[in-house]
Amino acid sequence: MSNAAMLSCKLALFRRCVRAVLLSVAVQFLLLAIFLLFVNFELWHPLQWVAGTLRLVCSFYTWFASIPLIGAVVLYGITLSQQHLAERRYCSTRYRWMLNNGPRKLLFLGAHLLVGYLTAWLYTGYLHSDYRHLLYRCYGRDCLSSYHVYLLGMGIAAGCYYFVSVHLHYEVTIDYPIVEQSSPKKLRELLFATLKTAPINSLLPTLSYSLIFALLGSFARQRFSHLLGVDADDRLVSILDVASNVRCLFYAWLLSSQILSNMHLMKRFYAMLLSEELPLIVSRNRLASDKQPEVTVVTGLGLFNIYVVQCLAAHFLYAASKRKDSPVRREIFQLTEPGNRPANWRELCDQCVSIVGNFTDELSDSMRQISVIKGSEQHLTTAHSDINAALLAEKVLLRQYNQLYGIRSAVAPSSETSPEPRHQQWNAKPQDGIRHVPSWCERLSTQLEESLQRVLRRIPGIVYLFGESEGAKTLFLVEHSLPIVWVTQALAHICVASLKEDRYGVVQDDLPTIIKALHRLKCELDKLSSSNTSNLKAATVSFNYLRCAVRRSLYNVCNSFYDYLEDIMTPGEELRQLQSFVHHG
Amino acid sequence: MASLSNLKQCHKFNSPTSGGRNYNYVAELDNYPVINLKPELSGTTFSQRFTAAQSFIPDESESVPKRITRAFFDGGFLESLAEARSPRTREQMPMISRTADCIADLLERYNSLQLNLCPHKGELNAERIAQYVETRDWINSAIRCMAWHCDLFKLAIAGVDDMVRIYMRRIDNNGQPLVLKSPAQTQITCMAWRPMCPFELVVGCQQGLCFWTIDGNLHLGRITNPSLVLKHPNKVPISTLQWSQDGTLLATGSIADPDILIWQIDNGSMLPLRRIGPPGSLLKWSPDNEWLFASTVGRVFRVWKCNERWTTDRWVCNEGNVQAACWSPCGRFLLFASTAEPILYRIEFVQLLLGPTKGSDDKEVVPVADLNAIPLDGSNTNLIGGAVQQLAWDPHGKFLAITFRSTNAIAIFRTFIQKFGLQISVGYYLLGDTPTEYPSYVCFQPLNRENNRTVLAIGWSTGRIQFHALE
Repeated sequence: MSNAAMLSCKLALFRRCVRAVLLSVAVQFLLLAIFLLFVNFELWHPLQWVAGTLRLVCSFYTWFASIPLIGAVVLYGITLSQQHLAERRYCSTRYRWMLNNGPRKLLFLGAHLLVGYLTAWLYTGYLHSDYRHLLYRCYGRDCLSSYHVYLLGMGIAAGCYYFVSVHLHYEVTIDYPIVEQSSPKKLRELLFATLKTAPINSLLPTLSYSLIFALLGSFARQRFSHLLGVDADDRLVSILDVASNVRCLFYAWLLSSQILSNMHLMKRFYAMLLSEELPLIVSRNRLASDKQPEVTVVTGLGLFNIYVVQCLAAHFLYAASKRKDSPVRREIFQLTEPGNRPANWRELCDQCVSIVGNFTDELSDSMRQISVIKGSEQHLTTAHSDINAALLAEKVLLRQYNQLYGIRSAVAPSSETSPEPRHQQWNAKPQDGIRHVPSWCERLSTQLEESLQRVLRRIPGIVYLFGESEGAKTLFLVEHSLPIVWVTQALAHICVASLKEDRYGVVQDDLPTIIKALHRLKCELDKLSSSNTSNLKAATVSFNYLRCAVRRSLYNVCNSFYDYLEDIMTPGEELRQLQSFVHHG
Repeated sequence: MASLSNLKQCHKFNSPTSGGRNYNYVAELDNYPVINLKPELSGTTFSQRFTAAQSFIPDESESVPKRITRAFFDGGFLESLAEARSPRTREQMPMISRTADCIADLLERYNSLQLNLCPHKGELNAERIAQYVETRDWINSAIRCMAWHCDLFKLAIAGVDDMVRIYMRRIDNNGQPLVLKSPAQTQITCMAWRPMCPFELVVGCQQGLCFWTIDGNLHLGRITNPSLVLKHPNKVPISTLQWSQDGTLLATGSIADPDILIWQIDNGSMLPLRRIGPPGSLLKWSPDNEWLFASTVGRVFRVWKCNERWTTDRWVCNEGNVQAACWSPCGRFLLFASTAEPILYRIEFVQLLLGPTKGSDDKEVVPVADLNAIPLDGSNTNLIGGAVQQLAWDPHGKFLAITFRSTNAIAIFRTFIQKFGLQISVGYYLLGDTPTEYPSYVCFQPLNRENNRTVLAIGWSTGRIQFHALE
């Protein structure tokens, strides 16, 4: 993988991020226009109403006053781009997660608060004079305007609410579109859907904030007025005051819906632009200049540190592989000149099989840490010698059922399956027949270590921060399995198409490897599915997507090559399983 | 242009259902199941269905508010409004009846205004569904829909009793069907097996989409819980559905909604393809996944280009709406017929065009067959032809089966797909066992490693399924 290719990918993504920032800036004016249309509504003078609003949006005041907000939007965009392009690393504990993501999340929270505050500040400038200024003259003295504080607080609260509900616990993701539509159409759909749902979605934060403001607002006002050296006014001092001020509530609701729409739109602009197809190629042109490096699909798939590019490369391959008369597929099956070697297929197949294989290895390693699966595996190994497969499966199911509903066995567990305490293991007879008796020092140190671990675990927060939750790695792998979803399907489509299109038979030698890789992954996913791990429920959608894709891919290959399966695969259990899978699923 | 004259009669008995062997006996058909839904469906017609509430005598001593509340929880707002306007309520509490009259009047005005603006937004009843689905006499027909599995011998048949029966070869399950029945599955309009999956069936019905997983539970004989039920976002029935060839996308349409919904079931996402105009009625995905044909209940129909950012070509019929359509196995030709005229039309879709493309203008709609009704074998009573009910093209591309709305015979044309065109010539016609028996639904068995023949499955109005091998 060349650095030039990576740079080229990063540059392409950077350009898209810049476009997303520009779109975000443009949408500020659209949202401002909508806000002004609501605020300055005049039923009897519609033309005047629209013309006045447009005049306001295009005025110098608006352009100057919106500069801080645009700056905040750019900052928001930069932090969002950084999160999209950052490497997806697994953090085994919460402490590690905080070390890796803490500063970035804090910066992002700051950007949310800033955008929320500046939006509220800008928008209040167009409201009635009671709401417009932070300070005003009352009884000959400067007073802090409760209305203004309430609306500014609403802006900050809306930003905070969006961050907590959308970004705090989750990494930024790109929802790749089901069908690829043109950008204007996507933009129209996005605007329409966002503006339609935002008024409803903003009701809860508005009401919650209003309640909190009614309860704690007096205290906050006192602190502010003390800080600014002015008096606090006596408006919005009780719940009744807040609830009865319909205009204030309306402005707050409008403001929060605008801020939530704004942030949602910015997030979706990134997703929309970053999910656009990357111009990838199958093989590099030998005459191409180094100044304009072309990125191959294989290179894209190998960019593990830029998740977006890996996804895009996998999606490109998937989309190209399933098309009728695909030139990409034709190029894959071609032999290279000179040498007549299937270099394109070789590279692609090796890369795809390696990605699938590595993923399967990581998944099975991570699944060994899950107690339910571990338990059933232990059970399987102990019972393997004398019980047939059907009985075994039934026992595993019964065991899982019991574990799920907390049913304990009436009989004490046998010594083979019960986890032995460490000190009892000393009495176990080793294979060489010589029993190792530890010295008193060794015994003491082990006991000390164990008791220290027990004490540490009792301290509140230690396990929470430094303990790895069960199935966390599996969850991480499943949530980041989008490239696998597409790579497996693409491989299957290419293999199936090779029946008609592969004139040189470049694919046939690799069919056993591909089928084995897919079958192994399917088995691991089936095992995970039957384990009923509670932690995995959080990633049900991703897991289901992955499992269905792998099953479909394996079915596609095995069904198309059904007549040749016995020639492709070595006779045995695997072949029998594959034949049964084609018939019964 | 081909016509219905000179059609030859097909030999009548060639499936186990008919219980006879004739001169071109096909041995493979012996393994096909013997299906006749008539005994199971006796007495079950759409109009004869009873609800549990009808079995009880209403309590006469109930007060008016209590009666209205009960009606609201039993049958919804409209039911409670009807109760409030009933003569009994009018007698006991005229004030409530007068208020209900005002509300009903307002609703009526709103509905008439809506009907004036959008004529297709009428009441969505069974008659309206029957008008647009591919099944003939959908309300009373014993068979409402049939679907073959793409790769395996599995035939799903939806009956008027809202049950789906799955039949396999006689040797596989002793000819006994697996029954899928659920309260979440009524008024079935369409169904399809998921491609690249041996055990998933999706059923489009009044409630939305019911997904059935038939995975190793064939021995149970009956499944009562669908694995997944998805509702249309506007809570309207699904009237047509089609899987993409690779089984990743499901396109659905409803006669109460102009949007086509594209579902990605595995990750639970859905995208509406929005178009302004009349609601959709029929969807047909081309076998190569390049095009998606979508007709509406109005004169308009569209073909979506799936690989060109889902842009559309739009056509308008002279009269009526598209009733039936089918793609050629190569995906190059689309045949369709409208409700207004008994003519079969063809559109050719060619991907590789020399020179600049000109949008939809370069795709001509060409009439290819005249389907005007003519007498069969010189008799004046037995006719064939008229307005088309359904079209089915065999997967070899050699035969085209056409059923009609008002005549009972099935016309089978011979088709020849050539490099630069399509030829249609006269073939056969098929009749039912009795003069009154008519084909409700027809479909060809797909080609797969278990089947290489052209087998037409015919669901007759009597509930009998006939398998007819064509050569």
